[in-house]
Amino acid sequence: MLEEPKLKTLNHLVEGLSREELVWLNGYVSGLVKGAPAKEDKKTLGKITIAFGTETGNSKKLATEFASKARKRGLSVKLSALDQYRLTDLLKEENFLTVISTHGEGEPPASAKKFFDHIHEHELSLDKLQYSVLALGDTAYPLFCKAGEDVDVKLHSFGAKRISPIQKCDTNYEEEANEWFDRVMEAISIGHVSKVEKQVVSKTTHKRNFTGTILSTVNLNGKGSSKETFHLEIAAEDVVYEPGDSIGIVPENPSAMVQALINLTGIEGARKISFRDEEWIVSDLLTKRLNIFYLPERVVSKYASIVQQQIPVTRMDLINLIKIYPPRNVEQFEEILQSLETITPRLYSISSSRLAHTDEVHITVVRNCFQLDNELRHGLCSDYLADLPENSTVEFYVHRNLQFRLPAQDKDIIMIGPGTGIAPFRAFIEERANTSVTGKSWLFFGDQHFTTDFLYQTELQDYFSTGVLSKINVAFSRDQKEKVYVQHKMVEHAAELLQWIASGAYLYVCGAKNPMSGDVEKTLLEIIQSTGNKTREQALDFLNQMTEEGKYLKDVY
Amino acid sequence: MSQNINHSPVEKIKKGSNGLRGTIVESLRDEITGAIAEDDQAVIKFHGMYQQDDRDSREERAAKKLERLYSFMIRLRLPGGFLTADQWIATHEIAGENSTGIIKITTRQTLQLHGLIKSKIKPTIQAFNETKLDSIATCGDINRNVVCSSHPKQSSIHEKVFSYSDKISEMLMPKTKAYYEIWLDEEKVLDKKEEEDPLYEDRYLPRKFKIAIAIPPNNDVDVFANDIGLIAIIENDTLLGFNIAVGGGLSATHGNTETYPRLGTIIGFCAGEEQTLKAIYETLTIQRDFGNRSDRKLARLKYTLDKFGVAWFRDELEKRVGFKFSIARPYQFIDRKDYFGWHRNHQGLWYYTVFVENGRVLDTEGLKLKSALLAIAQAHTANFRFTCNQNVILADIQEKDKVLIEKILQDYGVTHHTDTTSAIRKNSMACVALNTCPLALAEGQRYLPSLISSIEPLLQKYQLDKEDIIIRMTGCPNGCARPYVAEIGLVGTAYGKYNLHIGGDHQGERLNKLYKENLDESAILLELENLFREYKARRKQVESFGDFTLRCCLPNQ
Repeated sequence: MLEEPKLKTLNHLVEGLSREELVWLNGYVSGLVKGAPAKEDKKTLGKITIAFGTETGNSKKLATEFASKARKRGLSVKLSALDQYRLTDLLKEENFLTVISTHGEGEPPASAKKFFDHIHEHELSLDKLQYSVLALGDTAYPLFCKAGEDVDVKLHSFGAKRISPIQKCDTNYEEEANEWFDRVMEAISIGHVSKVEKQVVSKTTHKRNFTGTILSTVNLNGKGSSKETFHLEIAAEDVVYEPGDSIGIVPENPSAMVQALINLTGIEGARKISFRDEEWIVSDLLTKRLNIFYLPERVVSKYASIVQQQIPVTRMDLINLIKIYPPRNVEQFEEILQSLETITPRLYSISSSRLAHTDEVHITVVRNCFQLDNELRHGLCSDYLADLPENSTVEFYVHRNLQFRLPAQDKDIIMIGPGTGIAPFRAFIEERANTSVTGKSWLFFGDQHFTTDFLYQTELQDYFSTGVLSKINVAFSRDQKEKVYVQHKMVEHAAELLQWIASGAYLYVCGAKNPMSGDVEKTLLEIIQSTGNKTREQALDFLNQMTEEGKYLKDVY
Repeated sequence: MSQNINHSPVEKIKKGSNGLRGTIVESLRDEITGAIAEDDQAVIKFHGMYQQDDRDSREERAAKKLERLYSFMIRLRLPGGFLTADQWIATHEIAGENSTGIIKITTRQTLQLHGLIKSKIKPTIQAFNETKLDSIATCGDINRNVVCSSHPKQSSIHEKVFSYSDKISEMLMPKTKAYYEIWLDEEKVLDKKEEEDPLYEDRYLPRKFKIAIAIPPNNDVDVFANDIGLIAIIENDTLLGFNIAVGGGLSATHGNTETYPRLGTIIGFCAGEEQTLKAIYETLTIQRDFGNRSDRKLARLKYTLDKFGVAWFRDELEKRVGFKFSIARPYQFIDRKDYFGWHRNHQGLWYYTVFVENGRVLDTEGLKLKSALLAIAQAHTANFRFTCNQNVILADIQEKDKVLIEKILQDYGVTHHTDTTSAIRKNSMACVALNTCPLALAEGQRYLPSLISSIEPLLQKYQLDKEDIIIRMTGCPNGCARPYVAEIGLVGTAYGKYNLHIGGDHQGERLNKLYKENLDESAILLELENLFREYKARRKQVESFGDFTLRCCLPNQ
């Protein structure tokens, strides 16, 4: 940006300045920016863009609220989803607010991916830009609000100025989010950016936790099935959720493994120990709090530096690290404990409606089996849940998914949910069975075998015979030579499917992202194209429009 | 004529079935249930199938929200019980592909497969059709599979007598093309005149109808247990004609004294093919017109006969056929057995009768029967003939091919099995009963083998182990395994409980009598031991067990 001599002078000037001085200078310079140049910008002081990256709808909801608040204040507001946002506009923005959530291993929402890649793959100069980031996340995950942080750091590195520091929020975000927005509004109206580069972290991060009691656990798969899908009914007083929501559950580590770690390291299980300002006894800490399986590479390298050994940086179980690279003594093991991350919660779509089951939450959990380093392993949480005895308790919280909601009662819905993808649709159907619905409901379900894997078969039969479900089509992949999946059933009923969509039906997809939801989308496009007599381009536009209108909704994992 | 009032529901279903079509096509299309519509369950019997479900898993599946494990049993139409090697190979493959894999030889000389799920019915029937086999009219209120004395060594004109079974079966086939239309995708019949059925009209018979042909002196078909029994009268290697017995039938209902087993009554002699076939045909029309259509428990020909009297029946039949019957010719039955091992007929062809316990062809640890029969079929040097005692005769083997067959039988342990099985086991028979038969009150084929293992030592104890004593068990009083014409009959009354019948003769000309009620296993063994002890001590020089028990152990009536 600057010519060589000017840059030199500047570098010379800032060299040796303290942090405080730099901050002051920052403010001073920005004051100059505001004051000095283009007079016509005076008016545009009241111009903001709010862009959101959303997965479950929380960011969108907040962004929309902010937009209307700002408009009430008389500002000119542009509201946009990050996947709709024209990336070149970034160079023209003045006040750019972004609300963005974080998922999985610190990843941005799928809808923010394009924006995210753009700022990470290009060198931009944004020194005219003022911005602030509201980051949504979940403190139960090690990389809390990572996506928001990344955006904040990146924009800052391009020379953009923070209107107000990044605000990171946990799952009950409303209050802090609003405070952030108020600060941003104030800064904009006063006309200068924040003076203090201090990161604001949410104060009270406790989400509303429920303690549920296991009423029953049933393996829905019949004898001879290669799968185990558990239907869990959990009683929890005053629990509030809507069909489409999930619950988050933090699994416990198997006691045999915890005992093995204690035996190997010689640490006393009953010993009191403090971990991140919480008091624990070692065995509980290992059981309930610490992730000991398949440690991320960053934790493995911490381990390596504690035990001062060369360890190839690859994901490993704690027990194997300890066996191969044993800590020198108990003290060193304690140090390792402090370096571990916490067990992250697993999200399960709720498969019940409160209208059908007051004070209960039902979930549908498949026992997760996978191959890891040539070893057959089970998912920690599915094992934990499947083995919970009746009347035992389980901690959970409700994770809202505002993106995946039933439409108005007069609207038709098409639900595509093979395997455990059926879960939210059972909730939808129960909800519709208990309200006066005039819209029709059509379910596509699929699994391996008809006789053993038709989840909730008798319930669905009843809903069909009483008219709650207008249509059900099922695909069982392994009952015949050629594999048959839900998308084949969609093709079989292409004309009717298209007719439903044309009359305004909402289409929901839940289940495995790969390959299911991709195949379903491909099939959907083909149906729109061939049965609907459209070009490829038109079909894509049609589906995009459905997405924009909120009529094509996915909850895939 | 027959009362039109109070017809049983099945009568309505038959009449309204549009030529035995019902709504089978729609039922097959219903994806969400493994069952077919209730009315279709009555209709599909005429196509040779029963809908069943696994009674063992009902409760477990209900808890899993799975419907009952519905499946279908399919029974072939094999007049006289004959199959080529290629047809056996095809059946072997179809069984493996579509059913439980076990091939069951029935008490009526045919084969049935169990455990077909709904979607496998059509492929099964199509595959059978490829090998020129069908299942038309093997169940339902219609003439069933026609049985005939099975061993060609029985008579030099066995072939001629055997050919009657095919002729009778053809003559009594229903005229509807529904089977071809539904299962074999043949074109729909437009002109209903093609399907006009002067024999069955649109109401079919009031109840099932069974026909058997016996060649004295062996009553292996239990000729008197049939609605029509033909007894071949042969003089100097010439078939003169048949004595005709009518009104046999063994089914009864516990606690319903109006029901009873009945042996056929010989009404006279018929000379030549034309007269014989005519007499059979018109017997069916009499039963069609006069049989009880209100109470299915009283609907067999035997009740019609007893209601109107034998004299009336003979008059009516003579009126309908237009000729008089001559008096029955003398004949003598002395046995009801299969000729195990190697035997030769008058042309020098060889026959090997394999003992198949309860007719179940499968591979077990010690005996690879199914593999053996496949290997023999693949050698293409033998035909397959099934017996009413549920065994298989490897038939029509040339002298030069005998060695090869013998080697296969040796290699797979079949010879050893057939040679070493005890006399009582070889003379035993049980019905399917639990877990698939909806009528069963107690176990049948799953239990009798182990009970016999407990009976064998008792017989040895009294040196009776070489005696041919006919023992039969059914899981209900309907009599599929013909327990009422056994020397020891065990009729299930409740789970683990049986009525013990004794006093039947050895050749099947006398019904046995109820001796003790509701016995459990230890009581059965105790009663049998007492009978064996008595028999050993007090029998006449040549006296069968049945004759002895009638003379000494049952009260005089």
